[in-house]
Amino acid sequence: MRNGQISLWDMGIGYRIYREKVSTLKEAVVSRFRHLRTAERFWALRHVSLQIAPGEAIALVGHNGSGKSTLLKTIAGVLAPSEGAVATQGRISPMIELGAGFDAELSGRDNIFLNGALLGFSRKQMEAKFQRIVDFSELGDFIDLPVKNYSSGMYARLGFAIAQDVDPDILIIDEVLAVGDERFQEKCKRRIQEFRTAGVTFVFVSHSLPIARELCPRAAVLHHGRLAFDGPTDAAWERYRELERGPTPGPVLQA
Amino acid sequence: MIEAAQQTRADPSPPAVPELPDLPRRSSRIAELWRFRQLVAVLVVRELKVRYKRSVLGLLWTMLNPLLLMVVYAVVFTTILPAAQPNFSIFLLAGLLPWLYFSTSLMQGLMSVLSNQELVRKIRLPQAVFPLSVVGSNLVNFTLSLLPLFVIMAALRQPFTLALAFLPAAALVLTLFCAGVTLLFATATVFFRDVRHLTEVLLQMLLYLSPVLYDLRQLGEHRTWWFHLFRLELRLNPLSYLIPLVRDPVYYGRLPSLTTLAVASLWAAGALLVGFAAFTRLEPRHIHHL
Repeated sequence: MRNGQISLWDMGIGYRIYREKVSTLKEAVVSRFRHLRTAERFWALRHVSLQIAPGEAIALVGHNGSGKSTLLKTIAGVLAPSEGAVATQGRISPMIELGAGFDAELSGRDNIFLNGALLGFSRKQMEAKFQRIVDFSELGDFIDLPVKNYSSGMYARLGFAIAQDVDPDILIIDEVLAVGDERFQEKCKRRIQEFRTAGVTFVFVSHSLPIARELCPRAAVLHHGRLAFDGPTDAAWERYRELERGPTPGPVLQA
Repeated sequence: MIEAAQQTRADPSPPAVPELPDLPRRSSRIAELWRFRQLVAVLVVRELKVRYKRSVLGLLWTMLNPLLLMVVYAVVFTTILPAAQPNFSIFLLAGLLPWLYFSTSLMQGLMSVLSNQELVRKIRLPQAVFPLSVVGSNLVNFTLSLLPLFVIMAALRQPFTLALAFLPAAALVLTLFCAGVTLLFATATVFFRDVRHLTEVLLQMLLYLSPVLYDLRQLGEHRTWWFHLFRLELRLNPLSYLIPLVRDPVYYGRLPSLTTLAVASLWAAGALLVGFAAFTRLEPRHIHHL
């Protein structure tokens, strides 16, 4: 398997749902047996098979609750599949949300090192990246301020600046370009294009056709946890619109 | 442009599809944790920074906390027990410091996966880093609180013996034990929030059921069944072996007996093994219970 490959084999993420969430010992003991019999599974994703080749860019499209974020988290390794399998090769920059893992009390500087450590980098490695990250984020002297004082734009800029400097084989981004001013969005897009030309695999949740078309030739449509379409972005968008208009079946519940 | 559902039916195993990988083994879990060892260090520093932020005395609280407890216990016990040991405050402190290390690690550590759930939901990392970093920050506290202990020892003319060189080894065994127990309770707390309240009560009981404020030598002999039960409990209690690792060198000025060290080490290794195995086994299911 080459670096950057993402493979999903008939993958499903299921949640057991109980009438009431069991979180105390008494409830568990009292209702253990009933729940074992009647536990229903809610499939946030099911029967999803996808092969994403190294260097490919794919946009994930779907209504709210269709399983896009669940799929991203599964690829990032945050969620383990309940059935089927997932395999990824190479380093993943798993920025599901920009600035995930920032500690509000700490300064931007400390957060760069914290975030680097969360991604498995040593302090030494982060020191080498530090100036580049600060430059990219355009935060200047603000870098020594606690991030709780940052505007949401500054927050996102720092988040993206770190995510773009981890030398990933796979870049996973959810709603990146929704924040920051237009000029910074342009900068992000340029950086993503650079990754594309460098052969980084790119998975991206999109809510906007123009951005998706610009960045990804391929798109997958998720609909109620199923893969409804996988193909060229324009056609995917049509399918997505069609599904949106059509009657929506309830969530898939199976005993 | 193929519908995925049809694709899987028409061609269940396309040639380009790589083979299913093996499931990750335990050794790879340890390797992953090792890769994130720097994160544990960063989290320890963050924990200490955030804990003492905006407090005037800062890290000094680490040293004041056991000292204040010691003063209270010392006053109470020397008043009601006329024949208390000489240098009773040192005796107390030598028992309280390992006890506080254990109990504070456990109480803070069992909540650590839950209190870091924002990270657990978003970033792939070995979740064991959270309880382990709590133990790490308490190890720093434990080490720092040895300083006032030494000051008091000097002030009360308690002899400093070579046995004190054993303290790093004692800290190591204690740390392994704390890590194991904390890992086990941290994963249990994710599934049952009661564990926290249960542990709180159990720790309060355990303080008196362990030789922290007294010594096994002071036990004496009684012919009641509950005394025999108590003695059996003390024999099975791992803290009966872990506390002396610190108290023997500090208060009695000698090394702990080989039996004590062996039993304590076995408890520590066992706790770590069980704790780590349980934690890594249940870790993938944590996210559904946060």
